[in-house]
Amino acid sequence: MTLQLNVNGINQTVTVSDGNMPLLWVLRDLLGLTGTKYGCGIEVCGACTVMVDGQPERSCDMDVTSAVGKKIVTIEGLSANQSHPAQKAWIANQVPQCGFCQSGVLMSVACAMKAGHRGSQIMSEVQNLCVCGTYQRMKEAVKAL
Amino acid sequence: MSTSPITPTPAPATVGRRGFISAVAGGFTLSFVVPEFSRIAEAEGATLGQVNAWLNVATDGTITLTIGSSEMGQGSFSGLAQILAEDLMVDYARIKTVQGVPSVAPVAPVGNSINTVGSSVTRTNFWKMRDAAAIARETLVQAAMNSKGDQTRSNYTVAAGIVTHATTNTQLSYGSLAAAAALLTPPTVAALVPDSQFRLIGKTMPRQDIPAKVDGSAKYGLDVRVPGMVYAVIKHCPTFGGTMKTLPATPSGMLTVVPTKVWAGTGRGTEVADAVNAVAVVGPNTWDTWQAARRMSVSWNIPAAATNWNDAAFVATGKDLALAAPAYVAGGANAPGTLYTVEGDAASTNTALAGAAKIIDATYTLPYVAHACMEVLNCTVSYVAGTSCEIWAPTQGGKAVLQLAMAITGLTADKIIVHTMYLGGGLGRKWESDFVSQAIQVAMAVGKPVKLMWPREEDFTRDQYRPMAVIRGRAGLDNAGNFVGFSYRNVSPSLLGQRGSVLGPKGDSQGIEGANDLPYNFGPHVVEWVSHPSPIPVGFWRSVGASLNTFGVESLIDELAFAAGQDPYMFRRAKLTLPRWIAVLDAAADLAGWSTLPPAGHARGIAIGTAFNSIVAQVVEISNVTATGLKVNKVSIALDCYLSVNPGQVEAQLQGGIVHGLNAALWGQQTFVKGAAQAKNFNRSRMIRQGEMPQVSVKIMPNPTAADRSLSIGGVGELGVPTFAPALANAYYKLTGQRKRSLPLFPGATMSEL
Ligand code: FES
Ligand code: FES
Repeated sequence: MTLQLNVNGINQTVTVSDGNMPLLWVLRDLLGLTGTKYGCGIEVCGACTVMVDGQPERSCDMDVTSAVGKKIVTIEGLSANQSHPAQKAWIANQVPQCGFCQSGVLMSVACAMKAGHRGSQIMSEVQNLCVCGTYQRMKEAVKAL
Repeated sequence: MSTSPITPTPAPATVGRRGFISAVAGGFTLSFVVPEFSRIAEAEGATLGQVNAWLNVATDGTITLTIGSSEMGQGSFSGLAQILAEDLMVDYARIKTVQGVPSVAPVAPVGNSINTVGSSVTRTNFWKMRDAAAIARETLVQAAMNSKGDQTRSNYTVAAGIVTHATTNTQLSYGSLAAAAALLTPPTVAALVPDSQFRLIGKTMPRQDIPAKVDGSAKYGLDVRVPGMVYAVIKHCPTFGGTMKTLPATPSGMLTVVPTKVWAGTGRGTEVADAVNAVAVVGPNTWDTWQAARRMSVSWNIPAAATNWNDAAFVATGKDLALAAPAYVAGGANAPGTLYTVEGDAASTNTALAGAAKIIDATYTLPYVAHACMEVLNCTVSYVAGTSCEIWAPTQGGKAVLQLAMAITGLTADKIIVHTMYLGGGLGRKWESDFVSQAIQVAMAVGKPVKLMWPREEDFTRDQYRPMAVIRGRAGLDNAGNFVGFSYRNVSPSLLGQRGSVLGPKGDSQGIEGANDLPYNFGPHVVEWVSHPSPIPVGFWRSVGASLNTFGVESLIDELAFAAGQDPYMFRRAKLTLPRWIAVLDAAADLAGWSTLPPAGHARGIAIGTAFNSIVAQVVEISNVTATGLKVNKVSIALDCYLSVNPGQVEAQLQGGIVHGLNAALWGQQTFVKGAAQAKNFNRSRMIRQGEMPQVSVKIMPNPTAADRSLSIGGVGELGVPTFAPALANAYYKLTGQRKRSLPLFPGATMSEL
């Protein structure tokens, strides 16, 4: 089936054989947006988090059909030139280690900010798994947000 | 000023020759050898090494370091750039680091990659990198001296990549000198920047890879896309040791199903060379292919012995061997179950212990633990029959990948390109190349570029785990609380043995590290290691043997301290014999406020240990112990790694290592039923989330005023791990009066959906 998606402000047409294909794999394999990561596939780790109509969604468990008609923002669309305040704070505080979880973390942070959370409140909304253990620096980094 | 003891090799370059080689392509290039680190080679005294690093100063002034090690979050590339910039006397930001690509670099011997294991990148390259930078700088200065016709070196100064001739006040940039420098023979030695003038070494500098890791542009192995690529999803026999009975039919919509065999040299434990232990379903995208693989049933031959491969049986065997095991015989078969004496002497220790006023005889058990890197195993291969093979892999062992590809394809090294991608965590697992061998086999079978992925469930259930261990410690004290003897025996499956090494009289160095050469005044003592026969594949897991033995040793020491009625910090302090260890212990205790009482309901535990030439101590403060959990409030860690290049990065690595140690100590465990791993995803392998992160304080012991190149620089990346578990268990005892001798503390914990 052929579907229309709005990703990072651009309308995209994708063809899938399985309407249950999670948004994650549509983004990564069909649209080439590999910034969104696969970690667990069962909504536990948060590496696949994207913003859908302003809300954080685990794209590994969101059927692509249910994303139709919604505004999807991925890490690639978060800002131009790493200019989102969260990205700036992440660079300033040298948060990422391997970095693999960080797209999902930053999208979760961006969603929390969009919902009006500020400073350390943000982190209570962001419970993504980071195997490298960058939690302390995340906590420092959001203080400025 | 210290000078370099390296003898450069003048041009013309010889492929594979050790030493510095000058090349002319694109300005001035210095090719050199940085020490390669392989746990196996190190254990066996082997040397590896061809030219594996290239420093290029281009005519436009661009400076590039091409090096083969891997970046998996430890910041080592940036650390190398920092070291290089120091002695090259340029700004840090001027140095670009590039991942080495075997076979396409200007001088391309087999293995332009060095191996990234053992917390080794920064520490083993420190002096070589400095020498190379200094030699390059002096070659550029020589070019300036030639152009000015003044050969008096003291008439020239260098700063920020510019050579200034004082007499004429002329300034020559490195870029403008590069072409002339390329024609010169580099000096054999060059003075290094004195420590007192360091601008960069020892300073916190931003990592170069971070910006790409906040906008999704960093390319990890799993992100590789090659035109015309198809997707493969692996499906292993769920039982270790099982092999494919019949090849299943290709599911509808899929391209094919490829049986993959254990390539010789990549299998561990039950994985016998040439056995088909997995199939790869190949299809048009990850999801459809994965679903087809899930639905497809495969019939497997299961070895009869697998019925006995259960945790209870492994522990029972370990406990038996902890009590009695036949000793190593030189030239003998020394089958698994053999006892090796690593240091000391059992007989005199036993005699001494017979006279002890108090004896602690304790058995500690540790489980198998999966690596669980954030990025699952994967590899992309583009193969053209008889012509070329290009590999993109998140690997810690680029050289092993190249050699493996040569073996599988029969191609020569010049026809193979290995791209080391960013690693979404390596943790020791990506040092192995089983997944690479599968991807090559599939690519050869399908004749199209293919990206092979292990779903998370495969990643958990077909890991090469941190070895389980049963550790028996017996130690005695006299009435004054002095040691009278110390006996330590670790029973664990052999890392080196599963990699084909024939063990010598001291057994597996990787299994016992952290328990030998300890600076405690034990009196008569013995350290023994017994090879456990379990065939479950084991692998190098962040901090390796130290993660087992530091728990065993430091739990036992703590039990002795309480048996002696002494403060566990002061007890250790009185018994350590090396001032550096005492200083680290003091630093951790100070940081934790050991001399003040913790808040009501809290307790602290302490532990000290060593790994990779560093000394590390931790104090863990906990509270709120229940039957299902506890709260880790604070962790204070002190590290002596002799010299730290980037303290901010050291701090980050220690914080991360503590989380790794914490996850393992509280919950980390892979269990087995009839040879099949049970925890298949993060929901069954609990790890901390943001809200549970303790406050970590870090103290890095100061750098020496003048570093001595004969002294070892210690590792950092793995050092947060080993002392966490014992410090935690010691705090638990202090708080509850119950001694936890078995890890994890809370087995079977689960993690829920976000
Ligand atoms: S991949 Fe979606 S939550 Fe882990
Ligand atoms: S930075 Fe590696 S998992 Fe979070």
